[in-house]
Amino acid sequence: MSDRKKASLLVVVIDTNPVWWGQRLEDGPGKSLTQFLDSVMVFTNSHLMMSHRNKLAVIAAHTNQSCFLYPRTESQEAAAGGGEPGCSAGMNDGKYELFAQVNEQVMEEVKKLVLTSLEGQTETDSLLAGALAMSLCYIHRCEKESFAGEDLSSRILIIKGSEDNPSQYMNFMNAVFTSQKQNITIDACILDNESGLLQQACDITGGIYMKIPQPSGLLQYLLWVFLPDPTMRPKLTLPPKAQVDYRAACFCHRNLIDIGYVCSVCLSIFCSFSPICSTCQTTFKFLGPPKIAKKKQKKPNS
Amino acid sequence: MAEDEETGYRWETEYERSWEELTEDAAGLLQASVDEIALKAKRRKLLDKLGNIRLGMMRHLFIIIDMSAAMEDQDLKPTRLHSTLKLLEHFIEEYFDQNPISQLGIISTRNKRAEKVTELGGNPKRHISAVKALVTRSCQGEPSLQNSLELALQTLRHMPSHASREILILFASLTTCDPGNIKETVKLLKENNISCSIIGLAAEVRICKKLCHDTNGRYNVILDEPHYKDLLTQHITPPPATVSTESSLIRMGFPHHQLGSDKDGHEKPSMCMCHLDSKGTQGFSSTGYFCPQCKSKYCELPIECKACGLTLVSAPHLARSYHHLFPLEAFHEMPIAELNPSVSHVCHSCQAQLPDTNVYVCGKCQHVFCIDCDLFVHETLHTCPGCASSRTTQMSHMSLSL
Repeated sequence: MSDRKKASLLVVVIDTNPVWWGQRLEDGPGKSLTQFLDSVMVFTNSHLMMSHRNKLAVIAAHTNQSCFLYPRTESQEAAAGGGEPGCSAGMNDGKYELFAQVNEQVMEEVKKLVLTSLEGQTETDSLLAGALAMSLCYIHRCEKESFAGEDLSSRILIIKGSEDNPSQYMNFMNAVFTSQKQNITIDACILDNESGLLQQACDITGGIYMKIPQPSGLLQYLLWVFLPDPTMRPKLTLPPKAQVDYRAACFCHRNLIDIGYVCSVCLSIFCSFSPICSTCQTTFKFLGPPKIAKKKQKKPNS
Repeated sequence: MAEDEETGYRWETEYERSWEELTEDAAGLLQASVDEIALKAKRRKLLDKLGNIRLGMMRHLFIIIDMSAAMEDQDLKPTRLHSTLKLLEHFIEEYFDQNPISQLGIISTRNKRAEKVTELGGNPKRHISAVKALVTRSCQGEPSLQNSLELALQTLRHMPSHASREILILFASLTTCDPGNIKETVKLLKENNISCSIIGLAAEVRICKKLCHDTNGRYNVILDEPHYKDLLTQHITPPPATVSTESSLIRMGFPHHQLGSDKDGHEKPSMCMCHLDSKGTQGFSSTGYFCPQCKSKYCELPIECKACGLTLVSAPHLARSYHHLFPLEAFHEMPIAELNPSVSHVCHSCQAQLPDTNVYVCGKCQHVFCIDCDLFVHETLHTCPGCASSRTTQMSHMSLSL
């Protein structure tokens, strides 16, 4: 046994896209947001139960904003009565106070979120990049605040149902590279649409990407696959890794391409040669045969 | 560079009372004050960064390490060489992390000779193992600036014109032993559009300053080890492209990653091109990246295909560099008193209670951040959490211009 106290911070990003959840309601009973949240809360409670040092944050990726569900902003908590745990109604039934507090707060914030975003345009995709950026900042703060001698390992779990949004690509990738640098694993639990972005994110950071075959069994998958810490995972038999498509999409037609042309100034990707870069307006010099000829001369030497 | 020339030396400037900036906090500690100064300095550095300039994204950099007797000095602990090599390892890792499609080569100079340690290449592991191996080499004699520059020149002059050509010299000696007129070499470097930068470990030397000035490089002399590290990290960000750098469209391949677990069982294991010469079983597997043009197999990206010369990259490699091209604008500093008192004062991204002094506001999404998040967002994340979580502001400059 090592003396270092191990703590694990789990940030759960849940997709609360109203369009996608609305469609689920039409599919039949047993697939509503409420049931989904129940599963997520059992899962988060289990995480907190693994060790009393474990920490938790829940962030919602909504259609027009991303916000923290738990922990609630501290000033509000202070206003609610010194943030004393157990002062809520949930403690009467003998439940562990922390669990009651987490569950109540998440439910309350989701309700607030749904009610405030009734107006305005709703899109079919969620702002995942923002939620991811916020979770990274939160993890950064927690790591700074953690005590000396405490080993805080952090990971992010994204539970997502809605579609990918290609316009978020740059923000999303920036967040992924940051988590790779900070040693934060990103896991993805996909409810419906396969996500190319999340496949790459999980592969780069060494997390698990899984599309669950049966959404009604969400809790099972969460507990079996996503609850164990990344350090424990090599000892488990987990679903095999999926093939990741790393091909690039060209900027001109958004097609996936095998061979393309890249602008040397702004690194834009094009599927065919054009004399002017449409992104940065650079005019290109034509580079062609001489390069290949040079390579051929080089070969016999090596 | 021009600014450097005007300011002159430190001992010629006015007397600074640096200790008067420190103030004790309520507990009588100086640490808070020191931390604040450090954070402010970091922020200032961020503000200095210019946006919207054309950068040399594809870099070809030669690092010249002085391995002369001067490198054995113990002013850096344990020796200058050990300290340099340790910092260099970190530098190489960061360099390839931030410039994934760039190349690097290492040259050492000692005994009046120059010797290529590694050829120009894009594999960080190879360079790092070469740097590690240098520790056991002894430092001897005098360095030769001219010989090592010529050696780097030989390779760099053949690099394509759209790539930036750079030389970075870590120079410990105060002398150099050259076979000819070094001014001719400087002229040649200038003609070939190669920029030379020098980090001096001892003191300022006239010829070094001239070399850097003429070739548009930077010349710095270190104060101590942290400063040394600081100067090295400055060379990680890509330099502004010179006017004479030509731009071109480069043909690149985006290979598929083939996994061994094929359902039909047709996949046969094969050797990858990068380990062809190795004796062991390394590189013999059924997984790998296949060149879309000639189907040669590689186990790592990015790489230049050995068979057909196509540059093979993956989309995330290019995405890694985008933050240099589309930097995040600096947040405005604002005293907390100017904020609307009716809303809660918590940092938008980390939920921490904002301190009573200054807060940082993003000009685009108007969200408020604490200084820790401000630095983290600008130094590592390169994405404003506020902008990314709102539909109107999430669009980056790039998508706007599309």
